[in-house]
Amino acid sequence: MSKIDEVRDYELFIGPNHPGIAGNYSFKMKLRGDKVLSAKTDAGYLHRGFEKLMEERLFIQNIAIVCRICVPDPDPNENNYARAVEEIAGIEVPERAHWIRTLVLELSRMASHLFSLGGHAATTGLYVLANWTIADRDRIMELFEELTGGRVYHIYQLPGGVRRDFPDGFGRRVLEVMDYIESRLPDYDDLAINNSLFIKRATGIGVITKEQAISWGVTGPNLRACGVAADVRKDDPYEVYDKLDFEIPTMTEGDSYARMIVRRKELVQSINIVRQIIDKIPSGPVWNKIPNPLKWKVPAGDAYVRTESSKGEYAYYMVSDGGRKPYRVHVRGASTTHGVHVLENLLAGSRIEDASQIMFSLDACPPEVDR
Amino acid sequence: MVVLTSLFLAFSAMVVGLLFMGIGRKVTARLQRRYGPPFWQSYIDVIKCFSRNSISHSYIQDLGSMMGLAGLIAAAMFVPIAGWLPFPSASPIIVILYLMPIGYLGMAMGVSASGNPLAAIGIGRALTLMLGYEVPYAILLLTFIASSNTSSLAVLSDLQTGGIGNWFAVKMPIGFIASIICLQAMLAEKPFDTMIAPAEIASGPMVELSGKFLGMAFLQHAVAIFIETGLIVNMYLGGGATVLSFVFKQFLLYTFAMAVNGIYGRYRVEQAVKFLWIFAGSLAVIQLLINIF
Repeated sequence: MSKIDEVRDYELFIGPNHPGIAGNYSFKMKLRGDKVLSAKTDAGYLHRGFEKLMEERLFIQNIAIVCRICVPDPDPNENNYARAVEEIAGIEVPERAHWIRTLVLELSRMASHLFSLGGHAATTGLYVLANWTIADRDRIMELFEELTGGRVYHIYQLPGGVRRDFPDGFGRRVLEVMDYIESRLPDYDDLAINNSLFIKRATGIGVITKEQAISWGVTGPNLRACGVAADVRKDDPYEVYDKLDFEIPTMTEGDSYARMIVRRKELVQSINIVRQIIDKIPSGPVWNKIPNPLKWKVPAGDAYVRTESSKGEYAYYMVSDGGRKPYRVHVRGASTTHGVHVLENLLAGSRIEDASQIMFSLDACPPEVDR
Repeated sequence: MVVLTSLFLAFSAMVVGLLFMGIGRKVTARLQRRYGPPFWQSYIDVIKCFSRNSISHSYIQDLGSMMGLAGLIAAAMFVPIAGWLPFPSASPIIVILYLMPIGYLGMAMGVSASGNPLAAIGIGRALTLMLGYEVPYAILLLTFIASSNTSSLAVLSDLQTGGIGNWFAVKMPIGFIASIICLQAMLAEKPFDTMIAPAEIASGPMVELSGKFLGMAFLQHAVAIFIETGLIVNMYLGGGATVLSFVFKQFLLYTFAMAVNGIYGRYRVEQAVKFLWIFAGSLAVIQLLINIF
């Protein structure tokens, strides 16, 4: 390193209060001018010790904890947890509950993707899209409020099914919201996807090759943007995904722009899935009663379950020793890979103006990393 | 009397600029489907800033802040408002364009004193962007000087009296478009707001400004809005028969800039300079050639 470079190099902390950061996150970047030489992430700003907390609480109490591991997309956590307990305890879930759970998962995916699209656009200064998608996401939040009583955290999927059935006319209102969001997509396209300025900013930024994605363990939309059509919903179907007709959108470029397009296309697929669910959902009970949850001892055993969250493959490994509390719950957060070392690799060599765009395009959820 | 009228003009430039900023925030909010703050919010912000404690990193920051505002106020003194100037002058455009960078350089000096790298990057970008818009703007000025044999803003404004057909916006539409593009960059609105870029450099130059320094920065931006829109109104839109019509034309220009600001993202700084040189620069050269031949 030359003397001039020594003077030009500096370290920059971009922390959780920075406008370009995705929540509970921080970076320490080494820069030369506006070029990032290296970056170190710290995802521990929402460290609650989720996994350890779960070992100290009853099985039923943990339902209220798991959703907090990912705020924008909490339902895969509930689903994984409930399915893991059901698998260990051998609990049957009513057919209608499977359909409702799938609906909730897809609504959650849509809400998260809308959030992500807006956040991504905002990193390039396109705040209109950010405000629009967040306002449109609110329609989905209203549906959640009506169905579960909660807007962000739903605490809705219990071992044995779901907490309550649809309110009157709920299916119709879901379809109305789907029609509304579908009608908004062309506006999103005009603002960002087809906007030459946005294309200039996002194309060729934060490129992950197919080989890198596979070797780094990238999953979800970030992997599909590299041309790999991997999706747990197709590869290892759960709930009622095997009864639904949908496609897995992919792109090959692997850059920031491709990741946005994949999420945009997934919104369309989710809308189709939700419509199919409302059309085909059977009638019947939504919950098979479990023993008194305060005294319930889940038989000894273990289970590994996984879902496809909006961030990628989300898995839970649960071990029960036959007691009233889980012996161990390990959470494989979808952001574990792309939220830390993938991001650090992509940031090195990039420029400071692209740092937050790369981060938002990867759509990491920091608490998934530090559980 | 000259002192009083000068003070009055400086105060008016701040008041009008802040009013535009407030309305601009409302326009942006409505585009974003928000309610937005009241149009007088910018006044409240400035009053609040001046009532707070300020952290000064060194006397250079104090000096830079004052120099920035003083430079822009000095430039505002030469912008005729409906033919009126606070003191007798020919309102030479060259002088205005020399005085305006003093404002930006003052800001650069002040915020550089903080030592914050984000501020330094922001200032670096602002000065780079100046290279982008000043070249086409200088070509446009040459066009005026070549075709009208004057560099006086007051004279240029007078030449357009007698109806819209006499406006240079109608006679020189290509140059007008180039000027509007340059205005967007001068106002530091998207797609040219690279020096602020909250998601990239946390508002750049403003990152270390607190209290009175932030208030001064707001006022500086308000005066800059007044000058930059005032220049275009005088050069292309016939000045103004009355103060009200002059300010109304400024308002239309600023609202248009805010609408563009609302629906576009942000260029990288080199993309912005390239865009300005290629598009605004080409348009300016075409207009120059048309006027010469």
